[in-house]
Amino acid sequence: MILSMRRIGAVFLRYFYTITGLHQITELFFWPLIEILLWGLTTVWLQQQQDMPNLALIILTALIFFQIITRAANDISVSLLQEFWNRNLSNLFSTPLTEVEWALGTILLSFCKIIIGLSFGALVVYLLYALNVFVVGWYFLPFAASLMLSGLALGFLSACVIIRWGQKLEMLAWMMAFFFAPFSAVFYPVDSLPMWAQTISWCLPMTYVFEGMRQVLLNGVFCLNDFLISLGLNAIYLAGAVFLFKYSFKCSRVKGLARLE
Amino acid sequence: MSAEIVLSVRNLSKLFDGKPPVKAVDGISFQLAKGEVLGLLGLNGAGKTTTIQMLMGTLTYTSGSIHYFGQDFLKHRKDILRRVVFASTYASLPWLLTIEQNLKVFGRLAGLSGLMINERADPLLERFGILDKKKKPVSSLSSGQITRLMLVKAFLPMPDIVLLDEPTASLDPDMAQDVLAFLQGERKKRGLSILFASHRMDEVSELCDRVIFLHKGQIVADDKPEILARSVSRYKLRLHVGDGLKRSMSLAEKMQLSFAVNERVIEVTLDEGQIPTFLMALGQAGVFYSSIKILEPSLEDYFLMMARKKS
Repeated sequence: MILSMRRIGAVFLRYFYTITGLHQITELFFWPLIEILLWGLTTVWLQQQQDMPNLALIILTALIFFQIITRAANDISVSLLQEFWNRNLSNLFSTPLTEVEWALGTILLSFCKIIIGLSFGALVVYLLYALNVFVVGWYFLPFAASLMLSGLALGFLSACVIIRWGQKLEMLAWMMAFFFAPFSAVFYPVDSLPMWAQTISWCLPMTYVFEGMRQVLLNGVFCLNDFLISLGLNAIYLAGAVFLFKYSFKCSRVKGLARLE
Repeated sequence: MSAEIVLSVRNLSKLFDGKPPVKAVDGISFQLAKGEVLGLLGLNGAGKTTTIQMLMGTLTYTSGSIHYFGQDFLKHRKDILRRVVFASTYASLPWLLTIEQNLKVFGRLAGLSGLMINERADPLLERFGILDKKKKPVSSLSSGQITRLMLVKAFLPMPDIVLLDEPTASLDPDMAQDVLAFLQGERKKRGLSILFASHRMDEVSELCDRVIFLHKGQIVADDKPEILARSVSRYKLRLHVGDGLKRSMSLAEKMQLSFAVNERVIEVTLDEGQIPTFLMALGQAGVFYSSIKILEPSLEDYFLMMARKKS
């Protein structure tokens, strides 16, 4: 087989030209950074927990419940991106459909997918590790509901950026939930973070849920106060994100929805 | 009694921000009557697509107003868009969904029940020759089939007005003719009004009652296609010359007429009034021609004339 350096060079160039794009920068820097932070902090915390009971259950429960956030966030923003990729945005919004109706339709589907995903994840954990993540009992319902609201807020936030500035920022659809993950105390408690990061953590509704979930798993105590704070923060962020989404849509119509396709 | 106006556009303008700002549409006004077909012509960048986007609500306008059925579009968008639909060759539909699934989605968006969608979809799919593809995903369709699906989607809610942007651009001539026949039929049957943007002048001439010619966002002509064509005074005289081709050429040169020669055929461009004079001169010069054809100006000639003038 004769290899052509010119053709190999052409292929190299074809992908090199996109390396300066935000996509590549995200791939090269964002994901490694997030993974190092998330798993690094988790490992450091795990090393300090010599006698903690239910450690595997705590980690696996957090892992499954974190999917609620990523699922809800992705379902909003990726659904929007699908319409860009399919050149279908003009079709959709030249019908009587409103932005709010579109959002409610995607939320409904997201809700169904979360139930399926959560059930599947819990079943796999049970079958593989003989651990029942629903040991938190009926508390899983308010926790899941609060996390879904957080995910939706993040989804609307990334959707509003995408609809305003177009597909060049599409990676936000997958990034947004993970961007806040190191601060959300998903796998480790807030006090294992540096002080400056703790300040950010306590502004996030997810933090209260994951902290609360650990409390239930370790002590069997449900902290209503923390849960209510998470709901309150979710209400504020979700309202803000929906407002921004509607505003971005309005701004986008000024430039034309067709330009996004 | 005057015809019922279903669409009224007044002083519509669109200014895009930029350095400098771009006025894509500049104070256009026109009306569309019930059962009327209005053509929208213009060079690339004339403002046709911008106008259609504003008419379907996916682009806001800077000033002016749009009224459908006597109602302000901004205030009654939802009600209006149940009766006004859009189809374009350049839009698409979700690729992984089948034809049937797409129609179920868009039928519901237009306010149809599942039963109504089932009743209406098959006859339309059959009419446009894609019934056998009903269970196929859009990704497996050719561009012509997607265009036909876009038309099925548009006609599913039985609209009162359709905004068509190059609806036949990717169709074979026979299918394009079929689409035009369908549009004519819908218009006769139930008074459908059509705004038809196209670059195919023959189709525009055939289908449209009236044509608006846009240039740099402004309406530079608004009339019946035949009247616009007649405003071009240049005719083409095509002669197959048996003997005297050189003499024909020198006569054309002498009369300062532009001409083109292809083997023994000479095509001379001239005003209608110059035709008898030129033919008489050919006779006097002993030119023998075996066939003669006088080509009247068409809408395409009008388009080309405007294009040359404006550029």
